[in-house]
Amino acid sequence: MKMKKLIFLFSILLISHAAFSQVYITRNGHIRFFSQSPLENIEATNRQVNAALNNSTGEFAFRLLMRAFSFEKALMQEHFNDNFVESHKYPNAMFQGNVLNIEAINLKVNGQYNVTVEGDLTIKDVTRKIREPGTLTIKDGVIIGESVFKINLADFNVNIPNRYSRNIASEIEIFVNVELRER
Amino acid sequence: MKRNWKFVLLALLIGLSAVGIYTYCFVYNKPHRDFEKEPAAFTLTAEALFSAFVTDEASAETEYIGKVVKVSGRVDSVEQIDDLVIVSFVFEEGMFGPMGVRCTMLETHRAKALELEKNQNIVLKGYCAGFTGNDVILEHCSLQ
Repeated sequence: MKMKKLIFLFSILLISHAAFSQVYITRNGHIRFFSQSPLENIEATNRQVNAALNNSTGEFAFRLLMRAFSFEKALMQEHFNDNFVESHKYPNAMFQGNVLNIEAINLKVNGQYNVTVEGDLTIKDVTRKIREPGTLTIKDGVIIGESVFKINLADFNVNIPNRYSRNIASEIEIFVNVELRER
Repeated sequence: MKRNWKFVLLALLIGLSAVGIYTYCFVYNKPHRDFEKEPAAFTLTAEALFSAFVTDEASAETEYIGKVVKVSGRVDSVEQIDDLVIVSFVFEEGMFGPMGVRCTMLETHRAKALELEKNQNIVLKGYCAGFTGNDVILEHCSLQ
């Protein structure tokens, strides 16, 4: 299942590649999440995110390893991996979709563009459609993609036991920041 | 009799705060794993680790993810991205460019890693976070 998805992801990028468009990539994209609750705030950062954007079709994808999230407290990291996202069973999360208004962007001119990204977000093997606003900033041929959005943990089968309900928010905020360079 | 009660209460108070302090320091605030000191669960070549994930991702995941591994190989490149230093071993050419093992260095090993040269043979120890479809990711790495 996972392999099929990956082959699909690669093949769309391959086909697009054949059509003389450019693929912009990074392997060190930055994804951070934040949970605010009455007892404590929890934040985790992942700086090993793989991402790719096709500048003519607008296809955009990212993939990350759950175990690459680091937390301030070791205990939180352990709970996150072992109990909440079960990263031994579901090591990856991914997004696969499109920047809807990619044709409005001129890569030759520095500037910032508002975009809408739509596609499938998969966490713990649960896939949901999301549609979120973001920005693409062109800076000397480098594309910086940024977006902030919220997800509901229960939607992705992340169940927080009652005893932690005052420590962990049911809705968490995700910050995406990827600096994409021409492949 | 009255004095006895006071003594019991005081003992209880001291006991409770000891439990509290213990929980705070060693459970809630327990330190992160020290990956530099932790012994490696597996020792192999970087190439063998990479091909384990390429040939059978699922079984390599159960075997290596979350474990400390020691790998040996020939350096392809050392990159500096913001404050991160990443040493990579390369074995194949893929859709996203070269594929291999990417090792993020521990802060204390960054300076030494930046001095490495291409094709130098090295041994690294790190925590295996998994396979991105492109690279095997080792984190908190130290030069051996």
